[in-house]
Amino acid sequence: MKHVINIGAQVKRGSAELAILLVLADGPLHGYEIAKRIERQTQGVLRFNLASLYPLLYRMEKRGWLKATWEEHASGRHRRYYRLAPAGKRRVLPLREEWGQLFRALNSLAGVTHA
Amino acid sequence: MPDWHELARRRLGPLALDSDRQEEIIVELANHMEDHYSDLVRQGKSEVEAVQVALSTVADWDELRHEIQLAATEEGIMKYRIKALWLPGVCTSALSMLLLRLLQIRSAPAPNVVWLPYGVGFVVYWRWLLFLPLIGALGAYWSRRAGGRVVERVLAASLHIVGLSYLMVLSFCLAVIIDFRVSLSVQLVAFGMYILGWGLAPFLLLLLGALPFLRGDAGESRPAASLQ
Repeated sequence: MKHVINIGAQVKRGSAELAILLVLADGPLHGYEIAKRIERQTQGVLRFNLASLYPLLYRMEKRGWLKATWEEHASGRHRRYYRLAPAGKRRVLPLREEWGQLFRALNSLAGVTHA
Repeated sequence: MPDWHELARRRLGPLALDSDRQEEIIVELANHMEDHYSDLVRQGKSEVEAVQVALSTVADWDELRHEIQLAATEEGIMKYRIKALWLPGVCTSALSMLLLRLLQIRSAPAPNVVWLPYGVGFVVYWRWLLFLPLIGALGAYWSRRAGGRVVERVLAASLHIVGLSYLMVLSFCLAVIIDFRVSLSVQLVAFGMYILGWGLAPFLLLLLGALPFLRGDAGESRPAASLQ
């Protein structure tokens, strides 16, 4: 059975920030698309809901990592699209390396080897 | 289909942000819930089920409002705690201790002693206790003004008594170890008297004063939440 991690208090905020930065590296998305994209790309292992996503997006926006603009969606409704700001782009690589190191360390501890 | 915009507005309640930013946030949350609802209906859920599932993604709207408030105002958790907990808590503690000291000086050397059966007695400063509801009210009101949640308001009202009780528990544990020759029952009675006179009774009086300020946000009543 697949173990599902609901992103919230139990997962460090850093991993959630990295997930958002990585999906936005492919192009601008609105909030719901960000949540769906992360869920799809991680085969449902990582899930954001409304309560976990928006405070994080607002915080990242305030830090200058994301830029948000209101744009017209294909449905005709106006949606708030998020894209990486230059400071956010600069964060992607260091964050990816930090988390890569952490997971490699945890794998070593657990005795897990890559196929 | 429910009016998601109105639903988000009523559930989220007022944010201490300018009205444009608040409206943006409400629209964004409403859009998210509507997208989720539409997805669920497409997947075959009934409209009622879809509404319930879309709403159930937020377990605690008070917590969400609090998190959004912190994030949108760029106020760090430390700054928030200083404003909503430590500042009112330390000031009310200082006020309470100052008052107690003044009363001790004025009424020295004889505080009131309440005698219980078996010759057990504990010291009470009645006049100090009578002031505690006012001090509790001040702490909770101050914390509420600073955007504190209920837990911060209670702690801001009673910080010194909570701290004192913690020290008493710690001292009791140490006393049991160090004074092992003294009967445990004697130590328990002494500890009980201290906790009653300096912990529980003052805490309840502070809480009594804080009670009117444990509801509402920054002096405003939050609109009642409703499903649709």
